[in-house]
Amino acid sequence: MVKCVILAAGEGKRIHPLTYTRPKVMLPVANKPIIEYNLLNAINAGLKEFVFVVAYKSEMVRNYFGNGEKYKVKIEYINQGEPKGTAHAIGVVERFVDDFIVLCGDTIFGENDIKNILNTKNSIGLYKLDNPKEYGIVETKNDKIVKIYEKMDKPFTNIINAGIYHFDKKVFDFIKKTDRSPRGEYEITDTINMMTEKSIVSSVILKEWRDVVYPWHLLDANEEVLKKLDEKIEGTIEKNATIKGKVIVGKNTIVMNGSYIEGPVVIGENCKIGPNCYIRPYTSIGDSWHIGNACEIKNSIVFDNSNIPHQNYVGDSIIGSGCNFGAGTKVANLRLDKNNIIVTLNGKIIDSKRRKLGVIMGDNVQTGINSMINIGSFIGNNVSIGPGAIVKGVIEPDSKVM
Amino acid sequence: MCGIIGYNGFRDADIVILNGLKKLEYRGYDSAGIAIIDKKQQVYKEIGEIKNLEEKLPKIKGTIGIGHTRWATTGGVTKNNAHPHLSTSGKIAIVHNGIIENYVKLRENLEKKGFKFVSQTDSEIIANLIEDNYKGNLKDAVFSAIKKLEGYYAIVVTCEDEPDKIIGARLQSPLVIGVGDNENFLASDIPAFLKYTNRVIYLNEAEICVLTKKDVKVYNKDEKVVDKKENVIDWNIQDAEKSGFPHFMLKEIYDQPDTVNQVLRGRISEIHRNINFNENVENLLNSNISSIQIVACGTSYYAGLIGKYIIEKFTDTPVFVEFASEYRYFGLKHESSLVIAITQSGETLDTLAALREAKNSGCKTLVITNVVGSTATRISDAYILMQSGPEIGVAATKTFTSQIIVLLLIALKLGMIKNKISAVQLYEYIRYLREIPRTVRDVLNKNNEILDIAKQLKNAESVFFIGRGVNYPLSLEGALKLKEISYIHAEGFAAGELKHGPFALLTKSTPVVVIATKDATYDKILANIGEVKARGSQVIAIAEIDDTEIEKHADFVLRVPGGSGVLPSIPIIVVLQLLAYHVADLRKCSIDKPRNLAKSVTVE
Repeated sequence: MVKCVILAAGEGKRIHPLTYTRPKVMLPVANKPIIEYNLLNAINAGLKEFVFVVAYKSEMVRNYFGNGEKYKVKIEYINQGEPKGTAHAIGVVERFVDDFIVLCGDTIFGENDIKNILNTKNSIGLYKLDNPKEYGIVETKNDKIVKIYEKMDKPFTNIINAGIYHFDKKVFDFIKKTDRSPRGEYEITDTINMMTEKSIVSSVILKEWRDVVYPWHLLDANEEVLKKLDEKIEGTIEKNATIKGKVIVGKNTIVMNGSYIEGPVVIGENCKIGPNCYIRPYTSIGDSWHIGNACEIKNSIVFDNSNIPHQNYVGDSIIGSGCNFGAGTKVANLRLDKNNIIVTLNGKIIDSKRRKLGVIMGDNVQTGINSMINIGSFIGNNVSIGPGAIVKGVIEPDSKVM
Repeated sequence: MCGIIGYNGFRDADIVILNGLKKLEYRGYDSAGIAIIDKKQQVYKEIGEIKNLEEKLPKIKGTIGIGHTRWATTGGVTKNNAHPHLSTSGKIAIVHNGIIENYVKLRENLEKKGFKFVSQTDSEIIANLIEDNYKGNLKDAVFSAIKKLEGYYAIVVTCEDEPDKIIGARLQSPLVIGVGDNENFLASDIPAFLKYTNRVIYLNEAEICVLTKKDVKVYNKDEKVVDKKENVIDWNIQDAEKSGFPHFMLKEIYDQPDTVNQVLRGRISEIHRNINFNENVENLLNSNISSIQIVACGTSYYAGLIGKYIIEKFTDTPVFVEFASEYRYFGLKHESSLVIAITQSGETLDTLAALREAKNSGCKTLVITNVVGSTATRISDAYILMQSGPEIGVAATKTFTSQIIVLLLIALKLGMIKNKISAVQLYEYIRYLREIPRTVRDVLNKNNEILDIAKQLKNAESVFFIGRGVNYPLSLEGALKLKEISYIHAEGFAAGELKHGPFALLTKSTPVVVIATKDATYDKILANIGEVKARGSQVIAIAEIDDTEIEKHADFVLRVPGGSGVLPSIPIIVVLQLLAYHVADLRKCSIDKPRNLAKSVTVE
């Protein structure tokens, strides 16, 4: 029986503030944690036994998936202990697997691609990417792996290492020989480079691949997943509300008169939508939300238990749990010169490569009336924003903006 | 204190145990060792910090084992005395934190049966006792063995004939279970395994637990299985080292019911109505002592002042207290006097110099310290250990109360030697000593009340502490605690001295903390409160629980459990510590590392 190991230990520091309160793999896309898509796709590909490698806030993963009963599969958990790199993470499962595939839980892989990997022993999933600068690129010869290179400024190929592998017991001998990389971690790519010298490692080109490095990548993943979803209305739609395109409305949710919803959109359970609001495509709304009069939301992810109640605009944004928008709080999402939005994350200046990006807001943020949030802002957990305040840049958790 | 850990899982046990021991190093670090089952028990021990053990340790295979970091109490710091200890056959390995009071008798019995001992510790008997009771089931053997132990313990046991399990048991010493996936942990404290799991089960008194890789079973003392709830710990590693307290100082204040027990362990005997020290100390106290000089610095000096009051009261022997930095140059050194040096670290430079001067002049020297093997213990004739575990906060808290208790024990012992106190009186004091942990807990339960009073002080520019008798050095200590961590100017005065000068400084914005216990000067201290109030200053009184008079005089009253003479001192100290802590915390000061101060002052 081939086992499926899903790496789910990472904190996701590049996705602060959203990952202060949840591990990276539990970030929601279309109202499901990222890792659940991998679990479901792997189950559809025929896998039945799973090992989740967890660490940071592991209880959230364990509480959500349990022993796998509700998916009719077996899920075991192994705590990585210390975050010491991908080779180390795979190394900790040595005593639990023989023939196994490994995939990064924070990247969404397609069902058919997983099946292909499953059918090719000793293989690595590769993906062709237009701009591969940020990734490890792979040299191949006759579909066999020659070498994986670190990030390059001028990559000689557009084939990248996608983060899904099919290994057997032999990999652990190589992992034990793997040294720390210059950035101080045990990297599985170094392990693979040792393997290619001694044995044959095959390649499998993937058709689907969505990885989440920065918070705004969640918006891309969200868009991709929503495109594939089917309509399903379980809540109540009042007579004069308009639903266009594919829309999912969860149980006990009421969409009130005058609301105009353009799919694809997913709305969770126990929400109160409207009256008179406008929800535009590629928006995922979690459970227990109130979106009130004269509010417009587009291309955004909003987690559970928050309110966008009166006269708000939210575009291209991610809103955490337990937030409340004051009347008139609006989020800017487009530069006046229409250029790409540049953000500062952990002291580094990063081009988001997006023309439109609103706010990335952590949990329990309260905004005062008529406060304004500028493009590409990052607001930490438990921040209070005073009435009429203007917010831009990075706001540390627990601060007050007056 | 010592730190213990046990691991049963799928990882290399040597790495897990070493990592865990490093997190327990705050509990002691004079020697360390591990025992891992790789078919046979593989035991390695080293003297010194855990780093030392790590460097000398060969790679050991095996995924089940135990480890220990030691802070010596019974038996010196040697490789043989380091844990883990093996049974005579070498099959059973144990680590132990605590003290076995009846070990001498148990050891004699076991030796008669042919068991061999290689250490001077009380702990080694546990391994042989388990082996003596072993009939093929380790759990049953542990149950039979612990029934014979008197004292207190946390132990972790492995047996090479049952290499699939570790067993833990505790009585009064800490032991928690870490529940992992395909692995389980036991440790004195959560940080030891927090890296691997944040799910814990707390063991109650006298419970024992059996851990396999896959599951955890807990039994009560009647050997019945108990259902236990898992708790998820949401501290990060840094918080965890403080056991969830925001600062080491607060954790150490809350440690005091335990550290008081530690100081008393093995030293007071209710049955024999006696105070016991080791031979060197007893010889020293028995030699004809005409006077005592106490030398110390900082907080230890104030402990010395309290010691003067107590020792003079019980022994009629004159006691002089001097700053070590003054004594070394200017102090009178009489051959017939006993010099008691008090130093938490045993390395305070001024105190060491004073000790050497005293020794060179032919004085008898006794050291009260927290660190076995420290320079002070080596250069003195005898030493008494506080047994309080390392103190990390720069402001001394638990070691201060330990110092006072050691001085009280010395006073009682000397009083007996000099026939100044009767056996009946001694018995009363022993019973009082036994009560201290409870009274300290009572004060800790009033934490919120003290926090409210701290709010009154937080904006003060200057705070005075006053008291009479033994409450005078307590006032000095209260003022020292406040100024060193909150940076508020604070002074302690003998209450009667106020009118001879300090009065000039009193204003409406100078709160005065008055320690008013019901001793012979109670009426005088009430009069002092009146004088202070007349200047418009706010008065915060620390008074005994049954004192109904005091609220007529003071603006705020904090209560401590009562008693006569020196008895309320320890609870009062705890009130003063909490008061200083909360004021500093409200002012957002760096409590564990105050500016310009170091824990151990090794410069002149």
